[in-house]
Amino acid sequence: MSLNQTKQDTALWDKYRAKIYSKRGGWRIGKGVYNCGYDMMNELVGEKSYMQVMFLNATGRLPDRKLADWLEAVHICLSWPDPRIWCNHIGALGGTVRASVVSATVAGTLAGDSKAYGQKTLVAGVSFIQKALAAYNDGISVEEIISGECAKHGGKPIIMGFARPIAKGDERAEAMARVSKLLGFSVGPHMKLAYQIEDVLSRDYDESLNICGFVSAFLSDQNMTPEGAYQAFALLVSSGVTACYLDVVGRPAGTFSPLQCEDIEYQGAPARALPVSCP
Amino acid sequence: MGKDAVKVIKREEQYAKKISTKIWYEEPTEQNPYIAQQSRCHGYDLIELVKGRSYVEVLYLLFRSELPTKEEAAIFEQLLISFINPGPRHPATRAAIVTGVGKTDPVHILPIALSTMGGNFQGAGEVEPAVRFLRKNVKKDPKQVVQRLLDEGAKPAEGDWSIAPGFGSYFGGVDEMAHQLALQMTAQPGSGKLLAWGNEFANELHEHQMGWLKTGVAAAVLAELGFLPFASATVYQLISAPGLLAHGLEYCKKPMTSYPFPEDKDYVIESD
Repeated sequence: MSLNQTKQDTALWDKYRAKIYSKRGGWRIGKGVYNCGYDMMNELVGEKSYMQVMFLNATGRLPDRKLADWLEAVHICLSWPDPRIWCNHIGALGGTVRASVVSATVAGTLAGDSKAYGQKTLVAGVSFIQKALAAYNDGISVEEIISGECAKHGGKPIIMGFARPIAKGDERAEAMARVSKLLGFSVGPHMKLAYQIEDVLSRDYDESLNICGFVSAFLSDQNMTPEGAYQAFALLVSSGVTACYLDVVGRPAGTFSPLQCEDIEYQGAPARALPVSCP
Repeated sequence: MGKDAVKVIKREEQYAKKISTKIWYEEPTEQNPYIAQQSRCHGYDLIELVKGRSYVEVLYLLFRSELPTKEEAAIFEQLLISFINPGPRHPATRAAIVTGVGKTDPVHILPIALSTMGGNFQGAGEVEPAVRFLRKNVKKDPKQVVQRLLDEGAKPAEGDWSIAPGFGSYFGGVDEMAHQLALQMTAQPGSGKLLAWGNEFANELHEHQMGWLKTGVAAAVLAELGFLPFASATVYQLISAPGLLAHGLEYCKKPMTSYPFPEDKDYVIESD
């Protein structure tokens, strides 16, 4: 006997069945391709930069060229051709097994969906600085904001957007500050607070603002939400992954950091005989 | 914008010199240190496992570090069969099919489909919170938990309501397959208190057109088998892989016209 005894309302699914709806646009065959109301071939191609259209695709909003150039600079900052970086390492491993360039690049880019580095950190970074500014505007001091965050991590200065793995200091934040100035952006309230937090962290913990923190504060000053920032940077690390893949593809297969058996430290159970049957 | 020049200094952190593992040991040959002459899984010789153990037992061993009991192996096998295929309507399967029909390299079918299977709705992303929910509530009265969730929660204005992770409505009603699979596995000797509690909880939800979701059933069984919440989510992906791949491969040899491409009249640009 069915558990669904009464006739159920399936109107929502019936509406979407065998149809596709889009608020963004699409291809009207023989007429044109439309994107958020723009005629792509006539209003976007050759008229707007790739970054402007990428941001449009991510947010539904076409940014001015200045902001698009800023976004492009961030993508350069986050696409290093160093295969020691986790996402790039995956690209290089794809190269050594002769995966396709797309497979390796996408796999490495997916690895950037991480709580520790890459695209996803922007969610926590933007959330933090926006909450911090709200608290600051309510009269909470910078020191109190920091101590509140440290208390969540046993007194350690673990705040998304500040400090970074492997090294202290972040040359990318400095480079982006320079780019921001060159493009004519001023320091907004979130960025100002981020620098104030950095001053205290630097004094008390010898830690500084990182690229995630810089980007998070900047985008918050551009009125972006945490999710919006994350969506706009979905492919952030991809170009560096491709570079690492291609460097390895140019070498003999299987030679990217190959491991001898003894290069693996075995920490498990000693050799044992198989029981006659299941326990 | 900006401050003084930044000094970048390498941290004095100690990174491991070697990869370490408790799972697998490879014994090198004397002649070539890159070539293994024996592989062991948690201490057991791979050749012996090949000769004397089922796939289900070795799969369990791989993740749980010990061979399963007969009861554990039996319910684990039933779980693997229960969710071997999300079915051709599931978005992850459709991703596999589109990969196949689109003439994409077939080696990409699984990565593409499993990425989709990682979603938080009807996917692996729902399994981890479902394990946590079951563990947290298993000692509570299911009827009271349902009442509290009904009182505290808000049914969405449209679409399905997942009143708790792993439980809710499915296309507006009770997912009958999830219910049947839960009962089937509950009848196994290896079944435990999480499945039993989930059945009671689901029964209380039926009058509200809700019940078990497949992800909830999988979560209950995996948790009872000792899988950690985050591991349960990923194992659910693994379990679904055969079905996803089969559907993708089925379409590899079919023409591109064999998958629906909606007419313009059925493609609605809402800004029109």
